[in-house]
Amino acid sequence: MHKKNKRAQEEIVGFAMIIIIVAIILLFMLSFYLKSEKKDIIESYEANSFVQAFLHYTTECRDYSEYLSIRNLIFECDKGESCLDGEEACEILDSTLENILMKSWPTGENRPIKGYELQIIADQTELISFTKGNITGNYKGAQQKLPPKGGSNINISFRVYY
Amino acid sequence: MVKIMEINKKAQMKIQQTAFMLIAVTLFFVLVGLFLITIIFSSTKESSELLREESALLLVSKLANSPEFSCGEAFGTIKINCIDSDKAMALKYNINTYSNFWGIDGIKIRKIYPKNSEACTSENYPNCGEITILSSEGTGVSNFVALCKKENIEGQISDKCELAKVIVYYGEN
Repeated sequence: MHKKNKRAQEEIVGFAMIIIIVAIILLFMLSFYLKSEKKDIIESYEANSFVQAFLHYTTECRDYSEYLSIRNLIFECDKGESCLDGEEACEILDSTLENILMKSWPTGENRPIKGYELQIIADQTELISFTKGNITGNYKGAQQKLPPKGGSNINISFRVYY
Repeated sequence: MVKIMEINKKAQMKIQQTAFMLIAVTLFFVLVGLFLITIIFSSTKESSELLREESALLLVSKLANSPEFSCGEAFGTIKINCIDSDKAMALKYNINTYSNFWGIDGIKIRKIYPKNSEACTSENYPNCGEITILSSEGTGVSNFVALCKKENIEGQISDKCELAKVIVYYGEN
């Protein structure tokens, strides 16, 4: 009788262990299934379109025919030219880009964007460089090459850190 | 004889044990199956929401280059990611023709630099900062664009481009 009870108990324990093992396996499967990809804070197309959009921005710098876009102002800055009112092209470029970056990518501890970096390089010479905030391990970036207009090859590099 | 009866009783016990065991295991897997079906069907709504978000993201990256918005060659060479401000205002007042054309709930163009939060109407344009083409309270995804228009500066028609964001709304119920 004693042996019979022991056997019955062993069988119940065995059955309970099977249920526990199956439950643990199902929990693992469920956790993988429910894990969903979250949208990135910054998408790469945003960084790309930001660079393309700011290149069209019309600045306060004027030559003999028109007010220059940032794109044309970069070429003027590379040549060391001045605007019609006597201001240095590079100074206007610097201040305009600084303001654009501040308004477009507000950074901070409590903000999703932790920092950014913009570099405009003409051949091997750095024309403009802005770095703000913290450089983290996560970033989205954009690169734009401007075909030379009788001067240097311009390379624009932009990174947003989050 | 007694022994045979004893053996039969044992056999019956074994059969009963097996039967109960099978019923318990089957019930267990049926419950697990029901639980899984509930989870699978509850994520269907989330999938449709994700699809709408993806389609809005795709649209926002392409909207500026669509004929209804793009600058085309009106501002010199073809500009990518450039929205013609005058076209946008014209579209704002003819949006009924485009009802449900893009399959989204709202479109807004907001000036980023120089900043101006005043809503654009036919009275204050172009001295305003936000063009609501299609209004919506849903979730928005945005993209940077150049917002360009022709301006009369000192008697000369010049191009003037500013930095803006186009925002596409989806998910309004």
